[in-house]
Amino acid sequence: MAILEVREVDSGYGEVQILWGASMALQQGDLTSLVGGNGVGKTTLLRTVMGLNHPWKGSIWFEGKDVSRLSAHKKADLGLVLVPEGRQLFTDMTVYENLEMGASNKRARGKFQQNLERVFEMFPRLKERSDQQSGTLSGGEQQMLAVARGIMADPKVLMIDELSLGLAPVLVLQLFESLKLLKNLGLTILLVEQNVQMALAVSNYGYVLAEGRTELEGPARELIQNEHVRAAYLGL
Amino acid sequence: MGSSGLLTSLIDGILIGVVYGLAAMGLTLIWGVMNVINLSHGTIIAFGMFGVYLIFTTLGLNPYLTLVLVAILGLLLGVAIYFIAIQRVIDAPHLSTLLATFAVNMILLGVGTAVFTTNFRNVDYALGNIQMGQITVLGTRLVAALAAVFVAGALYFFLYKTRPGKYIRAVANNRAAAELMGIPSTQILALSFGIGTMLAAIAGGLIATLFPFTILSGGVYELKSFVIGVLGGLGNPIGSLAGGLILGLLESIIPIVMPNTWVPILEFVLFIIILLIRPTGIFGAKE
Ligand SMILES: Nc1ncnc2c1ncn2[C@@H]1O[C@H](COP(=O)(O)OP(=O)(O)O)[C@@H](O)[C@H]1O
Ligand SMILES: [Mg+2]
Repeated sequence: MAILEVREVDSGYGEVQILWGASMALQQGDLTSLVGGNGVGKTTLLRTVMGLNHPWKGSIWFEGKDVSRLSAHKKADLGLVLVPEGRQLFTDMTVYENLEMGASNKRARGKFQQNLERVFEMFPRLKERSDQQSGTLSGGEQQMLAVARGIMADPKVLMIDELSLGLAPVLVLQLFESLKLLKNLGLTILLVEQNVQMALAVSNYGYVLAEGRTELEGPARELIQNEHVRAAYLGL
Repeated sequence: MGSSGLLTSLIDGILIGVVYGLAAMGLTLIWGVMNVINLSHGTIIAFGMFGVYLIFTTLGLNPYLTLVLVAILGLLLGVAIYFIAIQRVIDAPHLSTLLATFAVNMILLGVGTAVFTTNFRNVDYALGNIQMGQITVLGTRLVAALAAVFVAGALYFFLYKTRPGKYIRAVANNRAAAELMGIPSTQILALSFGIGTMLAAIAGGLIATLFPFTILSGGVYELKSFVIGVLGGLGNPIGSLAGGLILGLLESIIPIVMPNTWVPILEFVLFIIILLIRPTGIFGAKE
């Protein structure tokens, strides 16, 4: 059974419909990629999964329960955590305070020390900059902090919107390495990426979103071989 | 005026200024957290005055003890106002929240006027004078100022050192991100509005020990709060204290060189000038 399932969801902003029957299922322990062109609705889908946008139709299931109507903070309590596009750090607060805020939900509070050691081990830079205001970090450090803050929430499913966007290649490699590490720890991950090649290379499974619905899905290594994917997203 | 007279009025200015700062703190906190200008602020200050007055005159409690009760009632009133009037318009444009707090103000003021009339009241309580050489300070003023500094310090501690306080700062900083991290942002906004209201009520209660007042007396402090908010930066409690101090000093110095009636005029000239040259306030860094 899928740990997270999106069933034929319609959603959008105000009067504007963006998602038209989007579906997706994440298997426990998988690293799944969600790819697609700019503006097809990937961010909207993640926002709808979290409850920042409400599903107009269809439903969202987490660990076998219908969570379609739950607010975002309730979902975070359950273990469904989003690292949002554009990082959305608490820029007026320190690095350490951002990590503390990550661990706001009840489960995460109990595992604070354990998770803190883990993220400091993964991103030693953050430990050095612990007392610095997060708004003054470099772009790469901010992205590390955004991921670290998500890990502090002790997720069962971690969704990351645009992990590598705007970052130097060295940093991108480092972030993808930490992703593999998290996967090996048994975390279920959903990755939204511009860098389709890299995303599919580290994933088990992939979804291609187009015009607000799932256009293609399959094991990542099959998608990489797919003619359409190669032509449209890999430029091959 | 002799130098001791000048010193006495400067010290008075500082003591009153700190209380002004406390009166402004609730307004700036609410603005800083949820970008809502609370037009019921002044009336809640007046409710604080009447709270202390009523408990003092009916139960005979020490006015400073009654402040604890007034604070709790203020907190509850603020949370109730948030859920009844603010919650449903919190994401609407500023005009909607402005109208909502305006409506709350009309209701509170209407009830207050009906129940208390607009007659003057007075908390008949004195702590005598404190004499330091040539300088005389009213005991109630000194205690009010110390209480204001204490409350400001407590608020600072709460916002920076406690978990709910940090939640308030996180929600102020980025509400959607706070939700994503599991922070119940609606409850936190209600709590913030409650604390802002509580601070206004405490300030009113302290002012009641200094001057006679009516149900309309809060309006003056609301206006001062706007000036102080602009001086200290909206959304910055410690800045409010500093802004209040400046205002208090101005009020004690201006009457030495020109008639008292010029005080509000100069205050608002200052308000406009600061808005023009430094819209985030002298001490405020927040956009
Ligand atoms: N807040 C918003 N209000 C209205 N339209 C929006 C908003 N955010 C995104 N959109 C529109 O929704 C569509 C999908 O956007 P998005 O989900 O961000 O795509 P992606 O993440 O795949 O690039 C785009 O056409 C975008 O312009
Ligand atoms: Mg996007």
